[in-house]
Amino acid sequence: MIGYTCSYIPVELLAATGLKPYRLLHGDIGLSKDGERLLRIDACPLVKSNIAYIIKNQDKFTALVGSTGCDMARRMFDIVDELTDIPVYVLNNPRTDNPKIFNDEIDWLVKELEHLSNRKLNDDLLRLEIERWENIREQYRTLNKKRAANPSLISTSDFHKAAINYYKGDVDAQINITEKHSVNPRVYLIGSAITYGANQILELLEQELRIVGDFNCGISRFLNIEIKDKNLNGIKHAYYNQPPCIFKRPNHKFYEWTSSQLKKYTCDGIVAWTLDYCDSYEFELKRMESRFGFPILRIRSDFSFQNLSQIKTRISAFREMLCSKI
Amino acid sequence: MFEDLKPKKINLTEWSHQFRKISDQIIKKYKYYGNQDWGIYLSPPATFMVYGARQLKRLKFDNSFAALRLWGFVFNESERLFRAKQVGKKVIATMGDLGTIPVIVMSFPDCIPFYPECIWWTPFFNESFILLDMATKLGAPEPACFSRAALAAFYKKAYFPKPDLMFASTGASCDDYSCIMQLIEGLGYNPIWIEIPFRRKSRSYFVADDYEHTKWGIDYPKRFETYLMSEYEKVWQNMVEFTDINNRNYLAKSIKNANRLRKLVENIKKLSYEAELAPFPGLELMVIEFGNLYGYADFDEWTDIIEMVYATISERVQKGEGVLNPDALPIAWVTPSPDPYLLNLVEDLGCRIVATEYVINQALVEIEEDIEPFQALARSFLNASLIGSTEQRVRRIIEGVEHGRISGVLITNMLGCSHCAMETRLIQQMLSKVPVLSIDVPAPFGITEQLKSRIAAFVETIRCARR
Repeated sequence: MIGYTCSYIPVELLAATGLKPYRLLHGDIGLSKDGERLLRIDACPLVKSNIAYIIKNQDKFTALVGSTGCDMARRMFDIVDELTDIPVYVLNNPRTDNPKIFNDEIDWLVKELEHLSNRKLNDDLLRLEIERWENIREQYRTLNKKRAANPSLISTSDFHKAAINYYKGDVDAQINITEKHSVNPRVYLIGSAITYGANQILELLEQELRIVGDFNCGISRFLNIEIKDKNLNGIKHAYYNQPPCIFKRPNHKFYEWTSSQLKKYTCDGIVAWTLDYCDSYEFELKRMESRFGFPILRIRSDFSFQNLSQIKTRISAFREMLCSKI
Repeated sequence: MFEDLKPKKINLTEWSHQFRKISDQIIKKYKYYGNQDWGIYLSPPATFMVYGARQLKRLKFDNSFAALRLWGFVFNESERLFRAKQVGKKVIATMGDLGTIPVIVMSFPDCIPFYPECIWWTPFFNESFILLDMATKLGAPEPACFSRAALAAFYKKAYFPKPDLMFASTGASCDDYSCIMQLIEGLGYNPIWIEIPFRRKSRSYFVADDYEHTKWGIDYPKRFETYLMSEYEKVWQNMVEFTDINNRNYLAKSIKNANRLRKLVENIKKLSYEAELAPFPGLELMVIEFGNLYGYADFDEWTDIIEMVYATISERVQKGEGVLNPDALPIAWVTPSPDPYLLNLVEDLGCRIVATEYVINQALVEIEEDIEPFQALARSFLNASLIGSTEQRVRRIIEGVEHGRISGVLITNMLGCSHCAMETRLIQQMLSKVPVLSIDVPAPFGITEQLKSRIAAFVETIRCARR
């Protein structure tokens, strides 16, 4: 497997090496506690979990590819580099609008991956991979339309379970989702990553609400990658120009894009899911409330879900509030 | 001239008493921006306590005249920045890069760079939660770097004037301040964003990049110089548009000025750390290091003060005089403390700071003068503390430990700060040959007996280890 951490890392390039791209999206309290042997308690729970997962499963990874997305995610690879022999490639994902750096770094990554895999990532190979991954994304896009329909036909919880295959590189897995119509208040999910183990929170939310769109790593962000030119330039263009992550500076475009999604999906409210010490989102919550003008339910987590009953009550109260507005 | 007494650390009352012996003529001699009417900054530190810096009554200061100048000048900064605006100078906020962009800004006549994040000391000096509470109201979470005070300062408009121009550096640095800068922009400010690339360490399996080394032996992909150069070009162009001045010779001069200060500070550190007796206190030495960033808004006067400090320290070393006990234990300090009292406390408990890693390496290294200026700036910035690996960051401290110059390491963290959370355990592991104490700096006025006991135990552990 080749592990990776960020929505800006082209999965097509990783797959072209012949390795299985595996998105590091681990989040459970056990792994997180293990991670605290290497990191302070105030590190991001996702990073703590991922690092513990990597250390425990190091024999499974041929290489790891990271980016300079969040500071903690970038620094995680520094520790992995110190503690394991896994080759680590961290590419500069510029925070400002600087496509040159991004494009140069993709060129760098291609050369390094060619060396790692002893394969030439030529146009033919890249075209094949692009078509393969585009085809998969198209299947998910069809499902996403059902999720976003009004009334919504499939749940985000089910969508997430299916999308895990994409993130784990199990591209040949069958995608079967049973339709579950819902007339619950329509909400947009935003915030920190939804990890493999966090489906529980989606289920809980969807007992009272219906998540019809999201902007979290780990659910549907990959659908925004649409590679028009089936070559390396097409990859660079599609990945660089995806709806911008909140850590981009300035982050106006993130707000513009999310606002447009809220309208498009006729949402009634927003659920903001943040992990403990997730700077990128925690600093922005207040601004989100004023910028979006939607009711926001904030849920903060360390993956322990010890406060599940409390969260449940808060979700019910949020639903009541939304229903009274509707 | 005021005759320095035998070196020691004194309190506020003692300084006030000592200050009475300084003649008016001497007081009038030292002024910022060279202005005789309002530029005088020498006053006893007690003056600043009256103005609100309540912590000063608990601090101890070096008793030299040079230290008096230093403190008077540093505490005068807020007034100085407002004065600068009043007299038509341009005040430029250079946030996030800690050391390089001011060198460019200072190439433009009457442009005064400053770092709003340096206001992180203010809640501690003032023993006040006003700025931190306001930052929370404005959206900054409580578990975050104390530099969030800058957000509140921008909101309150009382701590520094509204900048005429703002540069905000982001990228491979700490997330906390990047988020704070974004919130500052949200208040209606309009910073020019500057990219800081991640300094990727060379690995045996890398094939695609040519690598270079900085003078400090830190490796980086050669092409990253060009990224930084183009960012500095952006800074330059913005400054040209803003001032209507475009003279690259000024940049070469600004680099020379920066180097003059950097060399002085390097010599001060070397003298202080290697002398048998510690000739100058750790708190003042921290203030001196941070002066390299922008000279506390009057670079020439600050450099003059540092020359005086250097002369004072040289004389003390020559005479074999110091301010700490001869048996003070040599420690390294990693990550600066926003609470100045901690530096006093650690010395009072028996330590002596002989190495530091205050996340500003980029402001300490000399800038090359024989190459193209932007390239020289890029190459100096590539020494930065937070843009690369932890091993590179603490390499000099590791060497100090290996050579027996450092007997213990103190790491001061901020709860919720992204790099502290990720680096501290690794640093502890890398420096495990000596006792390492990692503490969280508590909120203002929060140093408890428990924390003091932990530091005392750390000191005891070092003593035992040395035996």
